[in-house]
Amino acid sequence: MKGLILKDLICLRKQLIVFTYVVVSVFVIAVMFVCSVQYGNIALSERKMLADGLYGAGFSMTDIYRMILALFMLLPIASIGDMANVFEADGKAGFSKVSSVMPLSVGQRVLARYITIFVMLVIGVLVDLLIAFVLSLFTDLVSFGDFFGMILSAGSLMSIYSAIVIILCFLFGYGKEDRARIVALLSMALVFVLFHLEKTKAIFMDLTMGTEDAEGPDGSLWMDTVNSLIVYIKDRFYLLVLLAIAVIVGSYSLSVVIAQKKRGVV
Amino acid sequence: MEEIRNVIEMKNVTKDYGDFKLDNISISVPEGSVCGLIGQNGAGKTTTIKLLLDVVGADQGEIFLFGEAIKKGSAKLREEIGVVFDDMGFHEFMTGKDINIMMKNVYHNWEESVFFDYLKKFSLPVKKKCGDFSRGMRMKLQIAVALSHHARLLVMDEPTSGLDPIVRNEILQIFREYMVEEDHTILLSTHIISDLEKLADEIVFINGGRIILSGNKDEILETHGRLKCKKEEVDQIDRSLIVNIQPGIFGMELLVNDRKACQKRYPDLVLDQASLEDIMLFYVNQKEEADAERR
Repeated sequence: MKGLILKDLICLRKQLIVFTYVVVSVFVIAVMFVCSVQYGNIALSERKMLADGLYGAGFSMTDIYRMILALFMLLPIASIGDMANVFEADGKAGFSKVSSVMPLSVGQRVLARYITIFVMLVIGVLVDLLIAFVLSLFTDLVSFGDFFGMILSAGSLMSIYSAIVIILCFLFGYGKEDRARIVALLSMALVFVLFHLEKTKAIFMDLTMGTEDAEGPDGSLWMDTVNSLIVYIKDRFYLLVLLAIAVIVGSYSLSVVIAQKKRGVV
Repeated sequence: MEEIRNVIEMKNVTKDYGDFKLDNISISVPEGSVCGLIGQNGAGKTTTIKLLLDVVGADQGEIFLFGEAIKKGSAKLREEIGVVFDDMGFHEFMTGKDINIMMKNVYHNWEESVFFDYLKKFSLPVKKKCGDFSRGMRMKLQIAVALSHHARLLVMDEPTSGLDPIVRNEILQIFREYMVEEDHTILLSTHIISDLEKLADEIVFINGGRIILSGNKDEILETHGRLKCKKEEVDQIDRSLIVNIQPGIFGMELLVNDRKACQKRYPDLVLDQASLEDIMLFYVNQKEEADAERR
C-alpha cells in the first residue's frame, strides 16, 4: 500500500511544485498586503476615506482585510487538495492493469488513495498554519487563533470536496475527472444553498432587484453573510472537521463498494 | 514418484459479459511448464487471464493458484506472480528509479539489485522516463518488474505482439532463462504461434470463449496431420479422423486428428505434419462452420 501512496505522490510531483510556488507567492503577497494595510497605500486610502466621511458607511474595512487574508490562506490548500489529477494520470497510463495484479486487495488500493489525500491536505494545512503563525507575529488584523480556525475549516472543506471527487471518479471511471470536479463543486454549493435558503434568496433579491437594502443601515446583506460565515468557520471549525471525518469514512466505504463492482475497469 | 503439481487450475469457469461469454473453461498448468494460450483477437484469452488473477470475478466455477482457491486470498497469492501485459501500464513520466521505489513498497520479495541488474542487462536507462522508451524497451521493463520479486509464475498477455523478430527473440530467450529454475511456470497468451512452437510445453486453443483443443504441444503436433487428397477421395476417409476440410491448391486438404491411424489406413495419400498454425486455423474454421450451420 505504501508503494501506491508513493506512486500517487510521484504523480502529484507537479502539483507539489505548484503548491510550493503558491505558498511562496501567498506568503509574499500576504506580507505585502499586511504592510500596505499598516503603512502603505491601503492605510493611506483608509485615512482618506475617513477624512471624506466614507469610512464606516455600512461596512468595516477590517472585515474586508480579514476576508482578503482568509482568501489568501485558502489558496495553498486549494492548490494541493485536488486528487482528480491522480485519477487522470492513472487513466492515461492504464495503471489499473498494473495495480489490479499487485498483491493488494481492492480495499487497500482505495485506502492508499485516501491516505494520499490526507497526507497532501495535512501538508497544506501545516504549511498554511506556519504562514499564519508568521503573519500573526507582525499584524493584529487576525490572530493566530482566528487563522487556526479558518485554516482547519478550509482543510476540512477541501477534504469533503476531495472525498466526493474520489467517489465520483470511481463511479464515472477514467477520463471523466472534470465531470467529477464539477459535480462535486455543484453538490457542495447546493447543500450550502439549501441550508441557507432564506438568506440566499434575500441576497439574490438584493443583488438583482434593488440596491436600497444593500446600502441600507444594516450594510450589504451579502457582506454580512460572508462575515458571519467567516466568524462561523473560525469559531466552529471543529464541526467542519468532524463533518469532514464522517464524509471521508462514508466516501471510503462507498468507493470500496464501487471499486469492487467495477473490478477490472477501475 | 513425485506427483505433478498444477500451478494453475481452472474448473468449469464461466464469465458472462452479455456480449461475450467465456464458457465452461477448464485449464490445468503443471509446475515447471510453459503453457501457451492461443486464439484469435477477442477469443477470450485476456478474460481468462483476468479471471485467473482475480481481476474480474467468475460467475461460475473454481480457480486455484498454487493449489489454493483464489477467493480465499488472491491478493496474497499475487505476491508469487509476475504479470506482463501487451502495453506498459506505467505512467509515462516515471523512471526506472520511480518504479523501483513503488514496487519495493508493494512486493515483500522485491529485490532492487535484481531489478537494476535486469535494467542493465536489457540496456534500459534508469533515469530515462519510460514514456520515451520504444515498444520493445517497454516490454523489457515490464519483464524486469515481473522477474524482480521472485515470481514463481509468469503470466503474460501478448508480450511479443508488435515487436520486431530480433526483440521478440531476445524476449523469448529471457523466458527460456527464467524456465531454468524447476519451479518456474509460464502462462503465455499470444496469437503469434511461432513463439509458442519455440517455447511451449502445453497448448490451450481458445475460440469464441470456448476451449477447442488443449494438451501437450508435442502430442498435439504428433497426432495431428495434414492430409492431401482429391475431392472425390474425401468421402472415403473415416469421418471420425477428420477435424476439418479445406480446399487446397491441388485438391482438398484435411486436418486429421490421428496421424498414425490415417497413415496406416490410407498409405497412398500424402500426409504431412501439421504446424500449430495449421491446427488452429482448421479448428477455428470448423467452429465457424458449425456455428453457421446452427444459424
